[in-house]
Amino acid sequence: MIGVTDPFTDIRTYADAQLIDRLLDVTRSFKSALVCGAETSHLAQDLLKKHNLDTVFEGEFSDPDGPANGAVSKVNNRIIYDDEWVPFKNEIFDLVISMRALHWVNDLPGALIQLRRCLEPDGLFLASLYGGQTLHELRESLIEAETQLRGGIAPRVSPFVDVRDAGNLLVRAGFALPVADSDTVAREYISLPELFDDLKNMGETNAVRERPHGLATARLFEIAEQIYKERHSTKTGHLKATFEIITLTGWSPSESQQKPLAPGSAKQRLSDALDTEEKLF
Amino acid sequence: MTATNIDPKLLQILVCPVTKGPLEYDKEKQELISKQAGLVFSVRDGIPIMLPDEARKLDDV
Repeated sequence: MIGVTDPFTDIRTYADAQLIDRLLDVTRSFKSALVCGAETSHLAQDLLKKHNLDTVFEGEFSDPDGPANGAVSKVNNRIIYDDEWVPFKNEIFDLVISMRALHWVNDLPGALIQLRRCLEPDGLFLASLYGGQTLHELRESLIEAETQLRGGIAPRVSPFVDVRDAGNLLVRAGFALPVADSDTVAREYISLPELFDDLKNMGETNAVRERPHGLATARLFEIAEQIYKERHSTKTGHLKATFEIITLTGWSPSESQQKPLAPGSAKQRLSDALDTEEKLF
Repeated sequence: MTATNIDPKLLQILVCPVTKGPLEYDKEKQELISKQAGLVFSVRDGIPIMLPDEARKLDDV
């Protein structure tokens, strides 16, 4: 890979670093954690060692015999499950971390509600997923090429959630003190096949099940690459690809957390604090 | 065949993914049974496969 515009050589490493950063910001300690999503082993073992957790459970979505699990985990507490069918008791963990997985879920609100329920009161939820800006250049080029070629389009890039929607979903799922923030990272590729190879290595190929199979011809990708080069190339003539990483933080509601006062319950006037006249409009 | 038993810690946290009801552990067959959902989840090398799509239907007999 050449011309990486970011110090991080891998988008995955970058996304995981963002998550760990959020965790380091938290001063409270945890006892029992669920780490789920993609390539969880590394973080799970890190948590056990550095954060002194009693138990870390590892959740994965794919079959253990499947090709997705390169590294064999040394953590014994592994479960294969689906975020839309969460198999955990209520209020059983005090930390749930979802790594680069929730963009695969069909029913994101449902998944968030289920994950929130398995958190104890005042338990922390952290998640990273790819956001709406991800691969917008590729999407645009493919749509344009396909329109030229066939007069119609097929969904070839998975749909991603917008950062604003993600924040709203956290609220809807009942999380307290919700935060959704996004980071965009640009990378450069020599060619479209190189970009596809990288996506394949990341395990992030098209998740849309209803797409037409066998219709993506070599000609389509040739035209798409041409359009991509015309519209989104860097000074050096490489293809620029954007990745948006959304990091979600939310707490399971608890009496001990700070809350806004009820409207009208103020004991002092804002105008007094600001030393100004109160005007009615 | 040397079957790895499921970690007792896991049994403490797991419920049926469909009904969120209790699971019964069949040590012999390495299976987790949800009577409410009528589904049997297999345990492979100590790892429970809690996917409704891959679960076996509970026999009526």
